[in-house]
Amino acid sequence: MSTISTQLRNFKEPTKDQLTHVFFSIPEVPSVPPKDTEKRGPGDIENMEINAILSFGAQEVEDSYAGKLHLLPPYLAFSSLDRKSVKFTLPLSTVRRVERLNARAGVYALSLSTWHGMKIIVQLTSLRPTADLFCSLLREALKAELQRGQMKAVKGFVKTCYSEGLVSLSGISDNEREDGSLITETKEGCPPPETEFHGGLGLQFKFPGDPKKLREASKIKLWTTYLKNHGRNLTLLRYPQCTRLVQVGLPNRLRGEMWETLSGSIYLRFSNPGLYDQLLLDIRGTNSTSFEDIEKDLHRSLPEYAGYQADEGISALRRVLQAYSHRNPEVGYCQAMNILAAAILIYMSEEQAFWLLEVLCDRLLPGYYSPTMHGTLLDQRVFESLVTRCLPMISDHFQAVDVQLSVASLPWFLSLYINSMPMVFAFRIADCFFCMGPKVLFQVGKAILKINGEKLLQIQDDGGFLNLMREYFASLGDSAHPESADPRTRAITRFQELLLISFREFAVISDETILSERRKYRNEIVNSIESFSKRSAVRNLKTLARFTKEQAGFIYDALYKAMCEIPPPPAAAPPPSLLTTADGNQEKAETRIGIPTFHVFLSEILTWARSEKIVINGFQQRIDREVAEHELIDRLFYFWDTSCKGSLSFQDLVSGLDGVMFNDLMENIEWFFNLHDKNKDGYLTKDEVLTLSESFLFIFRHEIGDAYLGAVSKFMTNAFEYGDSLLPQYTDSKTGAAEPREIGHNQPYLNLATFRMVVLADEVLESFFETDLSASFRLEPVPDLELPPASSGFLGDLWSNIATQDNKRMFNRLSDELGKTIGKHQVIYRPTIGRFTKLEEPTARESLISPPTKTTSSGSSLDTGVAPSSSSTLDTSSIHDNGPLSGSVFSPMPHLKAVNAAFMERTPFAIDDAGDDDDDSDLDMVHGEDDDRVLDEVDAFLEAHDSGLTEADKEMAKDLLNAEPVK
Amino acid sequence: MADAASGSVDRSVQVKLVLLGEAAVGKSSVVLRFVSNEFQANKEPTIGAAFLTQKCRLEDRVLRYEIWDTAGQERFHSLAPMYYRNAQAAVVVYDVTKATSLEKAKSWVKELQRQANPNIVIALAGNKVDLVQTSAVSSGSTPSSESEDEADDATATPGESPSASGDEPESLRQVPREEAQAYATEAGLLFFETSAKTGEGVVEIFTEIAKKIPIEHILASTRGGAGRSGGAGGRTGGAREDVNLEEQQSKKDGCNC
Repeated sequence: MSTISTQLRNFKEPTKDQLTHVFFSIPEVPSVPPKDTEKRGPGDIENMEINAILSFGAQEVEDSYAGKLHLLPPYLAFSSLDRKSVKFTLPLSTVRRVERLNARAGVYALSLSTWHGMKIIVQLTSLRPTADLFCSLLREALKAELQRGQMKAVKGFVKTCYSEGLVSLSGISDNEREDGSLITETKEGCPPPETEFHGGLGLQFKFPGDPKKLREASKIKLWTTYLKNHGRNLTLLRYPQCTRLVQVGLPNRLRGEMWETLSGSIYLRFSNPGLYDQLLLDIRGTNSTSFEDIEKDLHRSLPEYAGYQADEGISALRRVLQAYSHRNPEVGYCQAMNILAAAILIYMSEEQAFWLLEVLCDRLLPGYYSPTMHGTLLDQRVFESLVTRCLPMISDHFQAVDVQLSVASLPWFLSLYINSMPMVFAFRIADCFFCMGPKVLFQVGKAILKINGEKLLQIQDDGGFLNLMREYFASLGDSAHPESADPRTRAITRFQELLLISFREFAVISDETILSERRKYRNEIVNSIESFSKRSAVRNLKTLARFTKEQAGFIYDALYKAMCEIPPPPAAAPPPSLLTTADGNQEKAETRIGIPTFHVFLSEILTWARSEKIVINGFQQRIDREVAEHELIDRLFYFWDTSCKGSLSFQDLVSGLDGVMFNDLMENIEWFFNLHDKNKDGYLTKDEVLTLSESFLFIFRHEIGDAYLGAVSKFMTNAFEYGDSLLPQYTDSKTGAAEPREIGHNQPYLNLATFRMVVLADEVLESFFETDLSASFRLEPVPDLELPPASSGFLGDLWSNIATQDNKRMFNRLSDELGKTIGKHQVIYRPTIGRFTKLEEPTARESLISPPTKTTSSGSSLDTGVAPSSSSTLDTSSIHDNGPLSGSVFSPMPHLKAVNAAFMERTPFAIDDAGDDDDDSDLDMVHGEDDDRVLDEVDAFLEAHDSGLTEADKEMAKDLLNAEPVK
Repeated sequence: MADAASGSVDRSVQVKLVLLGEAAVGKSSVVLRFVSNEFQANKEPTIGAAFLTQKCRLEDRVLRYEIWDTAGQERFHSLAPMYYRNAQAAVVVYDVTKATSLEKAKSWVKELQRQANPNIVIALAGNKVDLVQTSAVSSGSTPSSESEDEADDATATPGESPSASGDEPESLRQVPREEAQAYATEAGLLFFETSAKTGEGVVEIFTEIAKKIPIEHILASTRGGAGRSGGAGGRTGGAREDVNLEEQQSKKDGCNC
């Protein structure tokens, strides 16, 4: 019933390098086939960043921007200082020419030409040697790309991009196109047939929305101009104009390609040609639980769209989802992915959709669709906290009437609003989402709440909340100000209002805000998920046996800890044939552990399944725990594996422990006897008696004094004596004397009654079975596992680097060595039973420098009574020192709060100025005006951007545009 | 049946009800049957949970069911508490043609009994009973079985219940009515076998739940402004338990409006 996942524990904060990759939408591991990496050697791929000024001028003169140029082979990336105005990510393979420009003295500038002749000029403003190094690295990286043959691949790849056709076509016929129906438009605007561009279902089944109302033609025209000047697909440069054009909505036919360009999934498609087709071949004829789940949802993914009432749409959707679940079995398939896939397939080909889905699930919405859905839960928590901070009245009211925000907002995030809003609007949010990243979801979500603020303060329960949201979403196409006298104000739709509020008032929510909030709540979410799965695991036990729920919880904790240390082998999936025929009994793979994990598990709760060394070296005193390996432990494993599966489930462990922890003397003796009676015939063989004696010796291995040793040897003597004497006698016909029959080593020899008698003959063994055996199993709280530290910033990172297990071990080893040299090193095994403690006080201890702490008192109190070793004291104290410090220094919160407070004081609908430049919605408008209208809308989003340059810099940058290359 | 207009507003009682159960057992279909008396492919995929309302008349009272139809996929399980929180009633659905779905249902019941509102009224519903009835009506080859082979559940796949379409309808049943009934009695649940496809048993679930809900208490708590205590009081039962069949009939009409 239960699957236990330790995956959440393995989370690591992204490194700076990873964050840079994410920022530039570059696939994390540059998709280089491993053999290539070897060939070129690891040293070749070197990243470098350098200060630079980007100036760019083909036809129009754009502003120049100061920023950072990153060499991230096989990519070259740039971002302006404010990290949002300008940015580009160029695959090096699209660069055809790099020249050093002959400009004024002291200016180090490079001119880069792309394959389609676009020229980018970057002025390297760092010191000369740095710039030289950068250039040589760039040269190396370009060479490597040439050798890989990627340069040639570009030409073939861009043919799949709609924008290429658009740009080349528009050169010939730049005439005004009619706003005709979509079909005719597609025919007219369709690039020449030889360019096999990728497109979605929309080409066949029409795109949602009225093309006229969406002002498709004007948008296409504006984009054509932009793409011609600023590059497209692989070479797109993102200037402020680009973001604004995205914010007014992408034209349908270009949307798919822009999505993959903006999200960066295009780089994945470019660097993994043919992979999708190969995946489709791989999955042919296979089956999995994910596939079954996918099948169930195919017909309920945007069912109102014509494409999904036809077989083409359904099969495409099936293939994309199956391919993804096959490629990423850890995520597999999660409901809501079907909605996303269905949505993007309207605009893009299967291959494009597949890669975009990968980017969505892995990077843009991390952990949203994983089996624990921790990403979803985390972002809901983050959203809640942002609402509390920015919209405290709403948050207070919700708390007062006990309404959870997530009941409405969860689907918003999980399906990018596609499931909540009319599709045309949801796709415009998706445009912004792919362009500006996950923060858009939060910004829009808060704007929705803010706009409905007054009504939200009236709601009394979940139902009212949901109904209000439903009504609001249905009215998004209506005018936001129906009563306004000004027709231009009246023309503003509620959706436009929503976007304006999202991006103006909630612009404060940045990627960094989201990241730091996620960091803040991550542990909380992980802990609650874990305690939830613990509770359900305990609840789903078929029997608790004689344990209390709390005790079962301890067993679970120990199991969980063991699994973190040694993950069990992946659940053996039944052969696919079973899955289809059987009635789903195999559906849920139960978590079962193997012997290695079992050893760790047992060492957590059973004193003699571990060896505890008390190490004293003059500097510190610590306890090293080692997992004991012995045949007896393996024997226990198989003894508890009642279903003979070669693995143990949580239930097996609980039942197994139940069999030994509640026993009295007689039951314990019997239990121990059965443990060693392999064939369960009620007799031990002679061999088994020997094994049993070895088991005794193993259990008593760390006891002090000779008492146990004596007891075991006495046991052996007695066992064989009694055993022999009780053997069935047979009378020798010749002598008449009764003689014991010779018996083989594997013949039945000693029965339970005899064994019991032998055991009870010895006081030590008797007391062992009476209390010590059961007592050596201890269910105690397992100390909390360490999660990655939640503190942010430099110190936090530093600390997480230092405080690893490895380093601790190294420190321990070092101090041991030191201790040995000064003759203070000493190792004492802690007894596992600890009944006899009188003999053990070693005299050497008296000579210690530091006064001895009480480490070897009575066994039962040992676990808790031991003073923490000095190394661990050191650890915790320094954590406490660092925590608050880094928090206060690096937290952006006070600043944010002030800004947000300022925003809250504004009038609820502060967008009147935006309305000024919008015109009436006359449908028979001339095209020129129509274009203006789109542009006006574009202007509405205009934000003052700072290029970070002085006038002199700009002058120089302009100069460079006309500079000659160095000969 | 437009009784909301006649019944004064303060008479209508809100009841929060949550549907739980394994994926593809037909939760959404049961709700759809109850809310709009339809059986069809789902218009809305269940992400997190779908929210629907339906009025139901009980004696002189109008109950307004707020129904949370949760997603059945296993990984949505951890979200479920959000929906069953404060619920006064729950319908746990399983599929009579799938033994594992009853196991899942049992674990839902356990979870509800431990984590949810202590006085929650739980009903167990074995859905898709139409798939196993043809044999009872006319054992052997029946022409109607052909049409019945269509999955009751809209979300069922060709690989699911219809996969057994070649089998005898008899063998389709994996959960004997008696077994489920016995379990329900033992766990103190209302029990029904239902078919969202034919409508059998669907309305009955909601009427029986309505009878068992401590309405007075909910009314008192909402009127008193004591917040949504979610019926924390004991069951009032009593008078409501002995409603005769005619009344029940009229209630059915009320529900199907």
